[in-house]
Amino acid sequence: MARLVAEDIAVRFGTFEALRGVDLTAESGSFVTLLGPSGCGKTTLLNVIAGFLQPSRGRLAVDGKDITALPPEARDSAMCFQSYALFPHLSVADNIAFGPRQKRVARDETVRRVDGLVRQLGLVDHAGKLPNALSGGQQQRVALARALAVAPGLVLFDEPLSNLDAKLRDQVRNEIRALQRDVGFTAIYVTHDQAEALALSDMVCLMNKGVIEQKGAPRDIYFRPRTRFVADFIGAANLHRGKLCGGAMSTPLGVLHCCHEDGEDVEICWRPEAARLGGDLSGTVKAVAFQGAHVDVFVSAGPETVRLQVPGELNVSIGDTLQFSVPPEGVIALEASANA
Amino acid sequence: MRKSPFNTILSGLLIAVMTVWLAVPFGMALLWSLVDPSQAWSYPDILPPKLSFERWSLMWDSTSLPIAMFNSYSLAPMAGVGAVLLAMPTAYAFGRLEFKGKAVWQTLVLVPLIMPGFVTAIFFASLLFSMGFFARYPAILVGHVVMLLPYAVRILSVSFSLVRQDVVNAARDLGASPISVFRVAYLPVLKPGIFAAFLIVFILSIEEFALAFVVGSPDFTTIPTILYSYLGYNFIRPNAAVVALILVVPNVILMLILERLLQSANPAGISGKG
Amino acid sequence: MRNAIRIGLLLAPGVGLVLAFMGAVLYRAVAQAFGLYDFSGTSDGLSLAHWQDVLTTKRFWRAFQWSAYIAASSAVIAVALAYPIALWLRKPFRGSLILSAMLKAPLLVPGLVAAFLLVNVISYHGFVNEFLVWAGVWAEPRRMQNDSNGFAIIGLQVWKQMPFAFLLLSGAVQAIPDPVLNAAQDLGAGKFARFRKIILPLTTKAMQAALVLIFIGAAGDFSFQTVAGPPSVNSMASYMASLQGSEGDWNGAAVVAVMLMALSLFGAIGLTALVQLITRTLGRLA
Repeated sequence: MARLVAEDIAVRFGTFEALRGVDLTAESGSFVTLLGPSGCGKTTLLNVIAGFLQPSRGRLAVDGKDITALPPEARDSAMCFQSYALFPHLSVADNIAFGPRQKRVARDETVRRVDGLVRQLGLVDHAGKLPNALSGGQQQRVALARALAVAPGLVLFDEPLSNLDAKLRDQVRNEIRALQRDVGFTAIYVTHDQAEALALSDMVCLMNKGVIEQKGAPRDIYFRPRTRFVADFIGAANLHRGKLCGGAMSTPLGVLHCCHEDGEDVEICWRPEAARLGGDLSGTVKAVAFQGAHVDVFVSAGPETVRLQVPGELNVSIGDTLQFSVPPEGVIALEASANA
Repeated sequence: MRKSPFNTILSGLLIAVMTVWLAVPFGMALLWSLVDPSQAWSYPDILPPKLSFERWSLMWDSTSLPIAMFNSYSLAPMAGVGAVLLAMPTAYAFGRLEFKGKAVWQTLVLVPLIMPGFVTAIFFASLLFSMGFFARYPAILVGHVVMLLPYAVRILSVSFSLVRQDVVNAARDLGASPISVFRVAYLPVLKPGIFAAFLIVFILSIEEFALAFVVGSPDFTTIPTILYSYLGYNFIRPNAAVVALILVVPNVILMLILERLLQSANPAGISGKG
Repeated sequence: MRNAIRIGLLLAPGVGLVLAFMGAVLYRAVAQAFGLYDFSGTSDGLSLAHWQDVLTTKRFWRAFQWSAYIAASSAVIAVALAYPIALWLRKPFRGSLILSAMLKAPLLVPGLVAAFLLVNVISYHGFVNEFLVWAGVWAEPRRMQNDSNGFAIIGLQVWKQMPFAFLLLSGAVQAIPDPVLNAAQDLGAGKFARFRKIILPLTTKAMQAALVLIFIGAAGDFSFQTVAGPPSVNSMASYMASLQGSEGDWNGAAVVAVMLMALSLFGAIGLTALVQLITRTLGRLA
């Protein structure tokens, strides 16, 4: 296990700044995800950590040792690639043994590791096959085993599940998390899927336009988004902007209450599931989407449309007037985004 | 990202070397073709003493060059059309159908490419001799078509495989007749491939030497055989220079067109997506 | 069944025609080698006499060895030059496109023209002689044409075939996805290890194809030999052509043809095996 510290990492491609001074600490044994829309710099940051890209500024350290100048082959990290990047001419077992052989691990130790990983990841029947003969899920497991075989302190995942179908994705996701706990490594995991990030991580770093917009535990990020971008990217959020006076903001729907200091131009948000039926907010139902356990209801008043989540058994139809409320603890005041 | 001075220097150097590599031989050929017949260019003159187009007009008037050019430039388009037409059904099968032994057939069609040209030429001549078939023009035409068919089949197979089944289905779904389906769904995709196949056969037919030399001997001439006659025992350098330029310049231009066509024949160009 | 007929009909004018033609030519060559279709009319029946005649001729074995030597050297040199360039140009950089276009340019030049151009450049009165004399390296022009080592022919073959090898190899090298090489590097493989364990095994097929095709092409060469080769030796093709053309010995020519095809076949097998061996050995090194 390794503790990674990245300080002020910046990367430039010509005139384009892919990363603009990122600070990140991954505690030993923790699971950190880099989450964000495409082009936010998350994969660039991962490539810097792996050593495929030299940052134009900043410093990387693992367990206190500066590794900024080390080439990828000399770093104590292993990457799981989005495309798996298995060696097509080598069998599954040889793919897994590639790393230990390069790192001159003793022969019997290599064999022990390969056997162990093959068993652990359910690849016993496939050890002699070439990668092309395997399904996507199996190839993903081989990629994982190959990375783990070098017993790295740090495992880097580059959207490893994006090529799998939904059901398999959940399964492999749980396997990765279980392995991380069993084997014990620090994981840096890149994804654009917020559900994946929330389910896996100890810490989520939400990135936007080359900076980390907010980082924290999944719950923190979800319940206490600091900026509009975070609130919007994670889950669904209803946003209002206006004057906050005495902890109250008047909106076309009615007056919303919020535990926050007053201001002239304040942005507040609330989650659809924070709404309670009955109360002094009201609007007309514009659309209804039945989801089973709950119903998504889109309610509008004046120019604003908000989304509410109400219990599935409630019967609402388009054109109804809906009365509801949002408790003050469910309303969050936002800061201006760093990328305004 | 990182600029390597090594790459810049090395590529600059190589480009310079390649320029010399290409420019010097062609420059010399051009000079030789312009040497005036009245004053020979011999050691120790660095440059020819007198330049003129005399040699070109002399060649045109007094040798069989016009006939050779007529032969070459009439054989080539016919071979091109013949090869494209004959290749179409096979290319359709290779590009759009799955059947047993497809890979074997796809390999077998390449046989003319690995057979030494002179073996093909001599024993084709032997067959013709046995059959008492002495019409050399059609014989060479048939030989060129067959020897160059593999190229047409390869290029057209790729084109056929690029035709999108959903477009074909859409056309049929909307009630198009087979001819309309071909016009709408096939032709636009096949067009660059057809031109490319025609051009490559055309170019290679013009260049083809072995068959024209063996089957055409002793007196049926094409541009390469006439060039060979000036290179062999009867070595006349300025004449060879003229014929070499006549042979190579049009082909280079055609090849550049071909390159364009092959690029536009790629899937990204046709579907409009990367 | 109906489908099979349909496929058959589709293949007939293309593959069918090619196979019928090449089959007839091949049959003719083999049959004539074994004494059938003897145009001289002395005997017409199966016999090994023509083999006896040709295989006991010194000139034939000279030609055989000569063609083998030219073909093997040309194939190896062309691939040895093309491979590092293909590796180097794997990732595009400024100037790399022009460079690869120029590398491919000789593909546009017909063999006979190439031979003429080379003869022009190296002749007594050619650019090389004039340049070296002008530069004071040589006191007077030297004779380099038709050299007895066949360097001119090998040079021509390499000039003409290197672009072809380059096309095949750069296709194979560029087909290796970046992540695969990154993965190897990430797992501790340095530059040379990546070459030996990933690039080399993944380009073996292309290298074998390039070697084999160049070998076959050069083994069957006629025009380079007759224009730029030493007059004292024949290549297989020129020997075959002279037997058939000036001596009218079709059956002897057929024996040479069969031997040329055998040379091509065994050369191809030998080169393929050699590449396999080298790849294996390098891959096994720790």
